[in-house]
Amino acid sequence: MYLSSTENARSASPEGLVENGSLQPLNRDRFWRNLTLAPAILLFLALTILPMVNLAVLSLHDIDWAQGLSSWTYVGLKHYASLAADSLFKASILNTLVFSTVAVSVQMVLGFALALLTSSIVHGRLFYRTVFLLPILVPGIIIGAIWKLMFSFDFGVLNQMAGAIGIMPRDWLGDATYSLASIIVVDIWHWTPFCFLLLLASLETLPQDVYEASDIDGATRWQSLWYITIPLMLPAIAVTFVFRLILAFKVFDEVYLLTGGGPGTSTEVVSFTIFRRFFTEDRPGYGSAMSITTFAFIALMIIVVSAVTRRKGSTS
Amino acid sequence: MSAAYSAPLRSTLFRHGLLVIAAALVLFPFLWIVAAAFKTQISLLTGQLLFQPTLANFVNVLFSSTSDYVRNFSNSLVIASASTVLVLVVATLAAYSLQCMQWPSWVLHSMLGWSVIFHMVPPITLAGAWYSMFRTIGLDNTYTGLILAHTTLNLPMALWMMGVFVRDVPKELIEAAKIDGAGTPRILRHVIVPLVRPGLAAAGILSFIFSWNEFAVVLTLSQRQTATVPVAIGKYAQENTIAYTEMAAASVLSMMPAVLLLLIAQRFIVRGLTTGAVK
Amino acid sequence: MNFSAKIRGALIAVFTLPLAFMSVSHAQDQVPITIVINQSPWFAGFQTVVGQYQEKTGNTVSLDVNPFAGSLEKQRSAVRSKESPYDILIMNAGFFIEMYKGGFLSPLNDIDPKFALDKDLYTFDDSVYWDPSTNKIDAKTGKLMSVPINPFIPILHYRSDLYAEKGLKVPETWDDLLANAKALNNPPSMYGIVQRGARGTFDVTYDVLPYIWSYGGGLLKDQKAGDYTIIVNSPETKAGMEMYLKLAKEAGHPSTAGQTQANVLQNMATGKAGNIIAVLAASIFDDPNQSAVVDKVGFAPPPHAPGFQSSPGLGHWLGGIPKNIPGDRQKAALAFLNWFQSKDAQMAYAEAGSPPVSRAVLESDLGNQPKYRWMKALSKGLTTARLPFFIPESAQILAITELGFNQIISGQTTVNDGLNNMAKEMEKVMTAAGYKAPLLPDLKD
Repeated sequence: MYLSSTENARSASPEGLVENGSLQPLNRDRFWRNLTLAPAILLFLALTILPMVNLAVLSLHDIDWAQGLSSWTYVGLKHYASLAADSLFKASILNTLVFSTVAVSVQMVLGFALALLTSSIVHGRLFYRTVFLLPILVPGIIIGAIWKLMFSFDFGVLNQMAGAIGIMPRDWLGDATYSLASIIVVDIWHWTPFCFLLLLASLETLPQDVYEASDIDGATRWQSLWYITIPLMLPAIAVTFVFRLILAFKVFDEVYLLTGGGPGTSTEVVSFTIFRRFFTEDRPGYGSAMSITTFAFIALMIIVVSAVTRRKGSTS
Repeated sequence: MSAAYSAPLRSTLFRHGLLVIAAALVLFPFLWIVAAAFKTQISLLTGQLLFQPTLANFVNVLFSSTSDYVRNFSNSLVIASASTVLVLVVATLAAYSLQCMQWPSWVLHSMLGWSVIFHMVPPITLAGAWYSMFRTIGLDNTYTGLILAHTTLNLPMALWMMGVFVRDVPKELIEAAKIDGAGTPRILRHVIVPLVRPGLAAAGILSFIFSWNEFAVVLTLSQRQTATVPVAIGKYAQENTIAYTEMAAASVLSMMPAVLLLLIAQRFIVRGLTTGAVK
Repeated sequence: MNFSAKIRGALIAVFTLPLAFMSVSHAQDQVPITIVINQSPWFAGFQTVVGQYQEKTGNTVSLDVNPFAGSLEKQRSAVRSKESPYDILIMNAGFFIEMYKGGFLSPLNDIDPKFALDKDLYTFDDSVYWDPSTNKIDAKTGKLMSVPINPFIPILHYRSDLYAEKGLKVPETWDDLLANAKALNNPPSMYGIVQRGARGTFDVTYDVLPYIWSYGGGLLKDQKAGDYTIIVNSPETKAGMEMYLKLAKEAGHPSTAGQTQANVLQNMATGKAGNIIAVLAASIFDDPNQSAVVDKVGFAPPPHAPGFQSSPGLGHWLGGIPKNIPGDRQKAALAFLNWFQSKDAQMAYAEAGSPPVSRAVLESDLGNQPKYRWMKALSKGLTTARLPFFIPESAQILAITELGFNQIISGQTTVNDGLNNMAKEMEKVMTAAGYKAPLLPDLKD
């Protein structure tokens, strides 16, 4: 979406300048143009750029406290250099990649399927829609607590059900074989509705006449799904995917309560490692370097993903 | 889709079957939460299926002298509503400005690009910086500070969504309004806002919910007077135990306004989306 | 049903609370203060005492209660800002040194030269004193920095009913405990012992320490004397670690590496654990709403190796006053702490269900009542309790040991490799922080 809208702006601007013939309306336009964008710019400047600059500066320093005062020591790129040797950070990057790609892929498929199913039925749409939207209403902290109990080795409902059908109980969160998968399951439960919401919104704005035409041509349901719905929805799918991927990359609350990154490093995720280094260990310099490296990493990922989708979009 | 009308009965039943299974999977943890809210801790831990329901958890959450739940709840309402309104205003204005007012492309690039980048930042890393800024100018532990923080956190998402909706507004309508002599405020009020209403509803609901659920930033920026529901719920995760049943009771209460909102706004979203589809 | 009684209680509280405030508001002689504290099983008792203080003196005390996880971060932010919103910080054994060393707290005698710690109060390995010139805990040269608030140490909780039934004796050594645990072990309905092995901020390390200390091992040799030799891979530490693993393997939970403190307590509360070692949780186990083992849990200090003493780690809490608040607020804060350490307040604190920090109260006749049967175990355990960290780098060291111990327990690494690896990483952290921290030779098979 982000890339396609810039295309739009680029093509729109030259005509616009030509159309605004006289100077008077141009000035008035400019006034409104600046005024309408100003609040967003101000918020971004004050509450995002400033703290991010702060992070960048921090990442080049060591901070010590004595007599209630801080002393900053410039250490250059030392923190960035030591990232390479941080085995916890490496483990967390890997886990987060696995976590977010697996979780988001499943969420996209399920969300799309649910959106298709919901839009294809006549009665009860409202009910299903409401039910599927429920999980995003629940604070992550509650999700963590409730699933922790459901996963519990000794008291959890999962092991009770497994026991009822003769399966050995498993320690879903405490055994490194299952822990990451368990977290992924929770995330799928929590965030599939989000994909569902965005995909359904896009599905319902698709032009009906195309379908009517294809009905006349005798296209099967699968054909119209494959050749009409999916291509038309590709931009929405891409946006939803990227959007969810970013959110998944930030996963924190759930992991914090469910496993605390363990057992071992099996569920250590990036924002948790950052939190640990930055706050728990109180190493803001090193933690900032880790944050900034992570942004760079994700930014790269997003650029690659949107480049790929754009190429696909332009060839089709 | 219109195809559904011609679908045979069997496939309709099949679809409903799938949807019911999905709905059951989604609902199960909710039933669990609700049941837990009426249990004692020990009956929850021993996994009793039949239990004598107790209201003690709700009484403790609402009336116990160690609980600030009622205040937390009203704080959540104030902060989530105000930040939602604010973020919708800011995002719609910015989306209109960026999409319809001939900014050089680098401005659009950098605004949307920055939204993406900022959106990647785990909020926890900014919370420390925000605290020291707010503390310096006296905005820590105030509604204003928390509302501004949540507005900022939700701005990238709202800007994205409103950007898409505003872009889809037919430019001819705007041009026609301009020819009729309408200024920017009138175009916004009479052309843009009515047409992007579905977007406003969707972005608004998501902002409200994200603000309602946000934990890490409120924990850092608030004290007792301004703490919101998630912080109250977080307190049941104590040093050595998790008071699951009281946590569940607090959670059930916390979900009520959001569920209510969903039930009301649901119709609005559907209507909005169908109007959009006809255009 | 006690529900209607609770409703009634709540209603009475709601209606009489304003009256209580009105009747005393004129007596106030100190400015209002705010205490930052975390939610915990002993918080209710603390709140009762605060209520009594307000009633008796008319001074206003508000409590900013936080989830356990957020308390340290809030305190850090507060003391580093221009003026702290909090007047008393309730600090855990895991992080109070950071507050001392950073110079964030006001020595209590700077606020009132005449203030003295009640002679009956525990000082918990001298952790209330700090010498800023040497950056060390030192009772002789140091200044009084804080007043103890809570005396948490790990305590052995055992099923006294089952012990009586099977004729078991309260264990003295780890081998005694192993024998008892084996006698009770009948999985999956009953585990002989449930140990916390999960990784957290100061979780598995805290629970491993009583084992490795009581075999003469540990993390650093003698922090108090300034000897930072890394002994985490000493044969003594290994012996303690192996005892921990033996208990887990022969009579423990099938997934010890995944057990958190909450899991451990839940196992005891639901009657699935014969023994646990955890911070005092009597208030949970004697509450019929939370426990199936009311009055069936006995308490004792943690066991030890033959020839050594029981070695629980201090997990206590201290109350300190920040430097960055005005003098009148510091005075008001000290007035509260002074009242809190009085015998009356300590008695009320104990009666409200929280473990007191006054030796006189802990060793009083109260301990003979069944309800307070934990007091004797706690006071005995405190005589040999040790402070885990005397240096402010605890968080970085814990990040290493939490992962390391958890990996050993889960079987991801061998004992030797795990301990050797931790030693090397600790050496890096210690050296970078400027300590002389020699390594021992690697453990070999």
